[in-house]
Amino acid sequence: MNDTSNRANQEAVLALCQITKEFPGVVALDRVDLTIRRNELVGLVGENGAGKSVLMKIMIGLIQPDGGTIKLHGEPITLKNPSDAIRNGIGMVFQEGSLVPNLSVTENLFLCHEADFRKLGILSLRSMRAAARELLTQMKLHIDVDLTVAEISPAERQMVEIARLLWLSQVYGHDNPVLILDEPTTVLADKERETLFSILQDIKKRVSIVLISHRLQEIVENCSKIVVLKDGKNVTEMAASEARLLKVEQLMVGHSFSADRFHEDEQRTRGEKEILRVENLRKAGSFQPLSFTVGEGEIVGLIGLVGSGKEEVCKCLAGLERADAGSITLDGRKLPSGSPSSAVRAGLGHIPIDRRSEGLALMMNVAENVNLLVLNRLKAGGFLSPARERKNARHWVAECQIKTPSIATLCSNLSGGNQQKTVISKWLSSRVRLLILDHPTRGVDVGAKDEIYKLMRKLAKEGIGMLMMCDTLEEDIGLANRLLVMKDGRLVKEVDSSPKMKPNPQDIISLIV
Amino acid sequence: MIRVSDRLSRLVSLRKRFPAPLAAVGVWLRRTGTVAQILSLVILVGVFAIGTKGKYLSWANIQVILSLAAIPTILAIGLHLTVVLGGIDLSVQGVAALCAVFVGLLMRNQFNTNDVGLWIIPISMGIGGVAGVISGLLNTGLRIPSFIATLGMSWVLYGMAVYINRAVNVIILDERIFNAINGMVFGVPQIAILAVVLAVIMQFIQNRTQFGRYLYAIGGDEAIAQQGGVKVVKIKIAVFTIAGIIYGLGALLFACRLGVATSRMGNGLLFPTITAVAVGGVALTGGLGGAKNAALGALIVTALNDGLVLMQVNPYAQQAVNGIVLIGAVALTLDRKKLGFIK
Repeated sequence: MNDTSNRANQEAVLALCQITKEFPGVVALDRVDLTIRRNELVGLVGENGAGKSVLMKIMIGLIQPDGGTIKLHGEPITLKNPSDAIRNGIGMVFQEGSLVPNLSVTENLFLCHEADFRKLGILSLRSMRAAARELLTQMKLHIDVDLTVAEISPAERQMVEIARLLWLSQVYGHDNPVLILDEPTTVLADKERETLFSILQDIKKRVSIVLISHRLQEIVENCSKIVVLKDGKNVTEMAASEARLLKVEQLMVGHSFSADRFHEDEQRTRGEKEILRVENLRKAGSFQPLSFTVGEGEIVGLIGLVGSGKEEVCKCLAGLERADAGSITLDGRKLPSGSPSSAVRAGLGHIPIDRRSEGLALMMNVAENVNLLVLNRLKAGGFLSPARERKNARHWVAECQIKTPSIATLCSNLSGGNQQKTVISKWLSSRVRLLILDHPTRGVDVGAKDEIYKLMRKLAKEGIGMLMMCDTLEEDIGLANRLLVMKDGRLVKEVDSSPKMKPNPQDIISLIV
Repeated sequence: MIRVSDRLSRLVSLRKRFPAPLAAVGVWLRRTGTVAQILSLVILVGVFAIGTKGKYLSWANIQVILSLAAIPTILAIGLHLTVVLGGIDLSVQGVAALCAVFVGLLMRNQFNTNDVGLWIIPISMGIGGVAGVISGLLNTGLRIPSFIATLGMSWVLYGMAVYINRAVNVIILDERIFNAINGMVFGVPQIAILAVVLAVIMQFIQNRTQFGRYLYAIGGDEAIAQQGGVKVVKIKIAVFTIAGIIYGLGALLFACRLGVATSRMGNGLLFPTITAVAVGGVALTGGLGGAKNAALGALIVTALNDGLVLMQVNPYAQQAVNGIVLIGAVALTLDRKKLGFIK
């Protein structure tokens, strides 16, 4: 870390200049700059949707930028695809991993580059194994190279991927490749994390590393430079030695905070009735015993970093995962653990983060989706009544202001915001009591976001309780009546968030980190 | 049987508890992934040996089993390749029927005056290969799921075979191939030796060539393999082609062994072949198991049926046993994590 300053003048290995990328309705990146120098460990931080992953994908050629240039050793280049990028010495370790699980460590290391070990078309397993062992020893790793990737730990898998990328850049003759790590530590235990960083510090002598992480602590501790992105723009770049944890978080979240945006004046107070009661819910490895309630018409924000256990809590409530112990009571009725269908029957709706694959049947039309859960009520004489189906669908399309040419339009042809409204109306029509909203505004443009906020306020007025996890802290604070803060699998604090008395984002941040 | 064998081999491979040679055997068995298969074969043989009062273990009966197992082994070696890829090939009956018809018409026979001699070997394998290329193109080019593409192909080819042959039994007069495969070397049927040689070659290709490696990479995770630079489409077409070529060989041997070629010859070949592949431990989810598994599976299925016959079990009950064995084997080998929903 200390050698940052004296190397600061060194040549840039990879430079991204004024990169712009637009997706329909969203500017993902707006003239972003990023410079990576020799032997540098750059930390890239930003909230969900800040544009980190898009930037990474541009760096390895998975996405083509709409504007701006990429310079490698000062020369402008275009990266057509990931294998093009690796030929140019840029490689990425993906979150989901890119090793074939049923092949051994050796086989994965050299997959598609076996030519060096081939004689008369036959592979020399002995020399492959020896080369694999040497590669791993160079990184001070002790992994049995004959084990299949499915048999080794997630930490070891990452190491193997890093070793593969290093070897490939060697093959292509790059003495200082760029290695991109996308949230490498989310799957690791504390000890493994330390090992990873000691290895990264070690290989830094011959590579430049870009590290994306949600854990700011490790970025501040390990990186030589920190780059902060917000809403697709560069916010700042600083040397890690000057960085303070809290300051970085503030930069990520930003200060702009407006009461109007979230229709705060329409926020209602919690009703008398208690809709959801969670008592001593526990799941080993995910979260410690926790208890909370959600009242009638109340919006509760569940906040915490990725890995804090909030996702698992929601999955347990929706019955998608089985909790180890504790009880969930909805409207006075106890829910069995791990049964999504009884959760639905009891009046619990779940709006998943990935609406395209989990929330909606894209190849069905709007009416079919809206009516999916209430077919029982739309029968006449034992058979589905088309007239009742149309009536119900029209009612909810109007109610939720779904902008669709007709109720017979396929959901795949709707915009993201209208798809989300269709998902919500599906639950509303089933007379849901509690809605779990998993990042309801993910990938939705600004206008549609506003409509979703309005819809949520309306639902609250009708007495529906909501538990949500949002993309940004502002959204959580702005929408919620109450915030539940989770950290490392524990419910650490409950914060009131009444209108005009909204908590300060910075105070919340200090609780989360 | 993967999970069973995993558990077993984990027990065996605890190097600290067992002396080195024993642990080494355990590690080898796990690498080869045939622990459960060898164990079940041993149990099977034991049960039948007792049940038939030793008749099952007579050399004559073992010869019968080995020679009966040869053709299912050859066909299973072809079919299992497509299963390793994560697909399946249901065209074996159609391919076998069409090849058999050409074998009957082109070799010296009682029906016409053709005689291509031993050229029938490349011809029969070539017909199978062409059928395989078409299946592969349907699967990769038109992106039709392999089970539908090959099921359709099977009926197309069978229709052609019946159209040409009109279900006539063509007696083959050229006995060179018959003699070559029906002989014995040290009391071992030559056709069984041929099947073993084929299995060894295929297993070697799977272990020691890039093609073999890519086969497992695609079966393990097609998206990652493609990302890594594996030419997925080429390999898939190649696999269906090789499978077809092997069916062509199997059909030729089958016809020559019977001495009669007919379009009906393919009937009933699919079930034992798929059962052999599944029982051998080739996971239907892809990426696991090799030629040795296919061969072992064919041996187990043949040994089972031979034993049931010797014990004079009702033939309908035998069929039911085979069905149960197939379902049981798949239940044990399926990697359910890989399948989202079962359709």
